Formats: sequence, structure tokens, C-alpha cells
Amino acid sequence: MKGRFFHLACALLVMLACITKVLAADVNADFAAANKLYAEGKFADAAAAYENILKTGVQSPALLFNAGNAEFKAGHLGKAIAAYRQAEQLEPRDAELRANLAFVRNQVQGATLRESRWQNWVGSLTLNEGTLLTTVFFWALLALLTLKQIRPALAPGLRRVTQLAAVLVFFSGAVLALQAADHFRSAIAVVTSAETTARSGPFDDAQNAFTAHDGAELRVLDRHDDWVQTADNAGKIGWLNTNQVAVLPGA
Amino acid sequence: MRFILKIWFALVAAALFAGAASAATFTATLDRDSMTLGEQVTLSLKFDGAQPQDAPGMPNIGGLQFQYVGPSSSFSFINGETKSSVTYNYIVTAQHDGEFTIPAMRANVGGQQLDCSPLKLIVYKVTPPSAAAVNSGNEIAFMKFTFPKKKVYVGEPVVGELQLYLRDDVQNLSGFQMTSATPDGFSAGKTVELSNQRRRVQVGNRIYVEIPLAMPLTAARSGTFPLGPFTASVVAVLPLQNQNGDPFSQFFNRGEQKQLTLATEAINVSALPLPEENKPAGFSGAIGSFEMSATAGPAKVTVGDPITVRVQISGRGALDTVALSTQDAWHDFKTYPPTAKLETRDQFGFQGTKTFEQIISPLNTDVHELPPLEFTFFNPDDGHYHTLKSPVVPLTVQAAGASPMPVLAATKNSPPENQPPQDILPIKEKPGTLVPAGTVLLAHPAFLAAQAVPVLAFFAAFVWRRRTDNLANNPRLRRRRAVAQLVAAGITDLKKYAAANQPDEFFATLFRLLQEQLGERLDCPASAITENVIEEHPVLRSAPKATLDGMRELFQLCNQARYAPVRGSSELNSVAGQFEKTISQLQEVKV
Repeated sequence: MKGRFFHLACALLVMLACITKVLAADVNADFAAANKLYAEGKFADAAAAYENILKTGVQSPALLFNAGNAEFKAGHLGKAIAAYRQAEQLEPRDAELRANLAFVRNQVQGATLRESRWQNWVGSLTLNEGTLLTTVFFWALLALLTLKQIRPALAPGLRRVTQLAAVLVFFSGAVLALQAADHFRSAIAVVTSAETTARSGPFDDAQNAFTAHDGAELRVLDRHDDWVQTADNAGKIGWLNTNQVAVLPGA
Repeated sequence: MRFILKIWFALVAAALFAGAASAATFTATLDRDSMTLGEQVTLSLKFDGAQPQDAPGMPNIGGLQFQYVGPSSSFSFINGETKSSVTYNYIVTAQHDGEFTIPAMRANVGGQQLDCSPLKLIVYKVTPPSAAAVNSGNEIAFMKFTFPKKKVYVGEPVVGELQLYLRDDVQNLSGFQMTSATPDGFSAGKTVELSNQRRRVQVGNRIYVEIPLAMPLTAARSGTFPLGPFTASVVAVLPLQNQNGDPFSQFFNRGEQKQLTLATEAINVSALPLPEENKPAGFSGAIGSFEMSATAGPAKVTVGDPITVRVQISGRGALDTVALSTQDAWHDFKTYPPTAKLETRDQFGFQGTKTFEQIISPLNTDVHELPPLEFTFFNPDDGHYHTLKSPVVPLTVQAAGASPMPVLAATKNSPPENQPPQDILPIKEKPGTLVPAGTVLLAHPAFLAAQAVPVLAFFAAFVWRRRTDNLANNPRLRRRRAVAQLVAAGITDLKKYAAANQPDEFFATLFRLLQEQLGERLDCPASAITENVIEEHPVLRSAPKATLDGMRELFQLCNQARYAPVRGSSELNSVAGQFEKTISQLQEVKV
């Protein structure tokens, strides 16, 4: 009975590995094809090809970076910024990514949202990196505390390390809390149509509130059906239809 | 009573709204009724007890210009009377001298028509002093204007010089302000003093200090236009004439301040249009005298890759209007709008270098060179157009996918330092590590549950530590546990000896176990335990009688075993069972 279960588990693992390999090979081929379209100057086609890969449910910083490049070259500032921002959430310290995002943002007309200094600082780590870092410090702290319970004789020697671990847990936990608050509680809407009018209410006939241009980044305040209530840096508030914007997590 | 209250209410309401109900008025005033040409006066339109929705529009009066500068309002509540007023302010400037009448104006405020009285404003012409007056030395200050050219081209920047002369007895000068408007047909830059060029000159019978001021001017349209008269106001401080022989007055003398209005003669200048003859197609409006240098790179690229073309145009002229024209020869390239950076070497911005950076990308592999970039300008000094050409840049363009992605103007895939980027950085060749979209560890239940592991481990260790410490600090507890282990092991031994029918070992073990268990219960050495303690020890007085009887019987069995014949296994097993039962009862006894 045990032998049978072992063989079944092995077969499942091999199958899983094969499927993963085949999927990765497919993505690599699609990625290369999209790159070729980009190199030929068919930027809209390249953007669609990258989008198709993303629709399979996988993503990577390079994939989103290239998607952003293709969208920018195709003249879609908002979609480019949305792709770069998603890539930034996976690899926030990529200098090329930051350069391209800054470059595209400079092309955007009108008022747009800008991250504050602390958001930039907190955003230099991904949420998963922050989580893992805090977890490592947390586990290390509890391992030290557990060791002190098991071997009290080691307690004096471990005091400094324990204090350091506690401080690291505190600070990494604080940063993680900020990151999590930004990620789960706030959202950003990036305007993806050439020029869109924000309404004073969540319906088409509502009065015009302000006009936002392609690529404008707005803070999401509320949602209602297919509408998001947004605010720009100048404090103007208005409702935009979700087909005019890409809504992304705050960090 | 109700009637009296109603009367009081009516009186209070009447008192409160008395101010609000008073009639509204509309008044127009000028801060002064005369000025010299080039000066300004302020017109105030005041509404008392009412407020129009917008600032009133001003009538069109030939020779006068009105500029709205904003409203001011006031509100007061005195002795139950409210008063509010709003005043709309306008700056009034005159284009020529004469007497002007600002007619009566009518404003509609909440359906009420309000009128104000007409106003008169006299504008005096400012004339420069005559040569005789200047030479006499009576003029405290005067101005002259010189312009280096009589004919200029439209768009050609020229610096005129305004010379301010101050008589040598002027102690101080303050508040210098040009009051004349920009001359018709020209655009003017900021008037600045030419540093370190003040000098003393003799004019007629007096010494004057000459202060040169530079005035950059550019003809905006063709025609003949008068430059001037330029007017300025200044406050000059002169020594007091009558000091009454007071020796202290020279120490505390602050002088006599005099407000002066100065004017220059007008100079007629012709502004010529740029010649249409031989005008190159690529001329984009650059006027001046320029040189050009250009570079392009990288020279080895793939189709669609960016090439940065950097162009520097240096020289003298209207640099801010210099622009790169569309290069017709670059039809095999996709071009992006260039960016420009201007570095000037003089204070007027007429000399310096303008640097352009333009991104282009080859459209096919047939491109083998970058055709020369052409820049055309008009030189007003010789009255001709000139075209500069950059050298041809050889290029190697490969098909997409034939080579690694090129690097943009740098040796690595990063934005060049100290230079603003001209385009986005190229795409990445490998997709990198792919992860499922939306993987957030913090929201994963398994990950969150795993965080309980170290916490539970710590609490387990903590509890274990407390128990260990309690045991270490409690010898009775330690002994109780040791005896319990001993008894448990002893019962096994008893059963073994019973099964093997070894009564000596059986009763020896039984007696020892009884001693150990009673010793632990009574907190005394096991060796000191005999059958007598059952009767004597106070702790056992509270024990159940059955327990005491059981122990007594077991002791007696042990004593009898020393003298009695050998017993069988079944009897020993029965004794072991009795021992087990008695010991468990004894362990329940509270000590």
C-alpha cells in the first residue's frame, strides 16, 4: 500500500515538472515572438502579444517591462505606466524600469499623482520581500527566545543578539505594515484613454468634474459598480468609468 | 403677553436687518486726477451694501488702458447695523497725453441699477530737457537712449543703451522704475544695469555720473517705429539748502528727496522683413550668426533601435527661437521630437549654445548612413541665409533578432549619468523568473498559519522551562515524581517476581516500595519507615481507614514472609494487586 502511494506521488511530481517545463517553453517562445514584433517596429502587435502572455496568469518584471515599452511606443502612456507600475511591484529596484517609468511619466500632461518620499522609500522593497524579511527576523527572534528557555545558561550571551532581533522585527514590521496598508487599503487608477472626463457622480450623465489625460495617475477613493471615484494631486475629485482606467494596488 | 413678545421680536428683527435694508451705492474714484505719460493711476469702483457677481467691465476709451487687479472687501457690524462694501481695483495707463474722461458707469446689482459719477484724468506729456538746460547744469538727472542700428531685421535681437545721468550733488538714488510701455513693433527684454561701467562725465558746466542700462529689443514686425520716448521715475536725494548754521545738521542731514520723471528722445528705427529671395526650404526662423557640431550613436544598431543625434548650435542671435527643422533626407528613419537645452554666455541670452538631442531609429536594413543634418539661419550682418551641414555618419543596421539588443549611448543598459534620457531604455531579451499573478505571501493562509509555528515552539519551551524550574526548586515534588517512577517500575518487578514465584525478592521489593512511598508522603527518609509510623504519624490520621488497614496488612505480610513458608504465584499476584490499590489510595492522601 505504502509503495503504491509512493509511486503515485512520484508520477504526479514528474507530471507537474513536465507541465511546468512545457508552459515555460511556451512562454519563452511567445516572449521571443513579442520581442521580434517590437524589434520590427510593430509596437501595437507586440503589446498585444505581451498582453496575451500575461493573460495566461503568469508575470515577471521583464515581461511587464517589455509590455510597458511596447505600449509606450504604441502611444499608450497610461497602459505603459500601468505595466511599469506592476513591474515595479515585483522588482522595485530595477534602475532601467525606474528610468523608463520616469521618462513616460514626464510625457503625461496635466496633474497626476506622485508618490511621497516615504512611499518611495517603503516601495524600494516588494511586499513579498518585506514579508520575508520580517518573517526571518521574527523567526530568528522567537528561535533565540526559545533557545533561552531551553538553555538558560546561554541567555546572557544571547541578550545583545536578542535585542537586535527585536529591534529589527519592530522596524521591519513597521515597514511591512505601511506596505500592507498601501497595498491592501489604497489603489491607484491610471487613465488609459487619450482624454477622459471625470464626472461628479458614478453615471454618464453626471456633471463634468475635471479632465484627465492619458497616463494621469489618480488616487482611488471609492468604487461603485463600474465606476471608481478618484482624486488627483490637486484635490479634484471625480468618478471615472473602469474601462477608462487601469486600477492597480497602491504599492 | 404674546402680543408684547411679538412687538419685541419685530423690533429686534428691524434692528438686525436695518443695515441690510439700507440703500446700495456705487462710487468710482481715482487715487489722483493727473499724471505724466508713462505713470499709472488706480481706479477704484466701490459698492456699498451690495455686491455684483462679477467685476464691472470698463468702457473703451481711446488712449487709456485698464487692467483689473482684483477686489477688496470690508464688513462691519456696529450697534446692530451691518455694513459691507466691495471695491474693484483697476490700473489705468495712458498711451498719449491729454485730458481723458472716464464716463459715468452703470452696474446691475441684484436687479438694482446703480450709477457712479464720471471722472477726469489729465495726462501730461514728459519732454526731455533741452540741450541748453542740460548744459546749464540745472537738471538734477536726465536720460539718453542710443540704439546701434537704424535698420534691423524682424526677429533680430539688438541691445539698446539707456544712459541715466545724475548730477554730482545727488546723494542717493532710489526707486528707479521704467514707466513707459514697450515700444510699438518691438518686444523688449529686461532692462539691466551694465555692471562696473558707471563713470563720471562733464556735461556743460557740471559733473554727472553716467549709469548705463542695457535694453534688449527685438523687432516683432516690419515697419518704421519710434523707439521712445522712454520714461522713468526716480527718487533723488539732494542735500538740504538751509541748515541754519546748525553744526549737527550735517551729521543728521538725511537730505531732500525729490521725485523726478525722466524721458528720452525718440529714435526712429526701420524693421525690415526677412528677404524671401533665396530663402532655403529648411529655414526655421533662426536669426544670428551660428556654428554647428553634431554627433550620432551608436553606429551599429538593429532595425527599430534608437540612435541619439546630438546637435550643438553656438553663436550669437535669437538662440531661444533656434529650432531644428524637419530633415527631409531622413526618410528612412522614424524621428521623435528633439529636446533642447540652452546655455547662454551673456545676460540677455543672445550668445551661447543650444544643444538638441533627437532620437531616431532606422526603419529597414537598407540604411547604411545617416544623411547630413542641415541647419539654416539668416545672418542679419550680411543679409544672407546660410546652411550648415553635419558630416555623414556611417551606420550598420541589422535585422531584428540578428544581434543582441544595442545599448543606447552607453556601455550598459542604464540611463546615462548626468544627462536627461531621450527615450525609454530597450526591452529585455529574457522573460526572467515567471510567477503566478497576484502572489502575495501576506494574504496566503498557509504562510500566515506557518507563523504560528515559532510562537507555539516558544510557548512550549516556556511551559517546559517553568515546569523544570518548579521541579528544581521543589525537592518534595521531585521526590514525589521519582517515587512514582520507582513504584511504577516496582509494580512491574513485583509482577515479574510473582510470575517467577520468587517470594524473597517479591517481599523485599514490596517492603522497599512501601518505605519509599510512605517516606515520600510523610517527608522523611525511607529507611526510617516502619509499620509503627502508620499508627504514630499525624499525617496518616486523616487517611481513610481502608488505606491504613491495607498498609498495615502489607507490612505484616512482609514481616511474615521472612518466617513463613514459600507462597505460590497466585498469592503473590494477589498481594501485588493489593499493593497497587493501597499505593494509589496512599498517593491520594493530602499531606
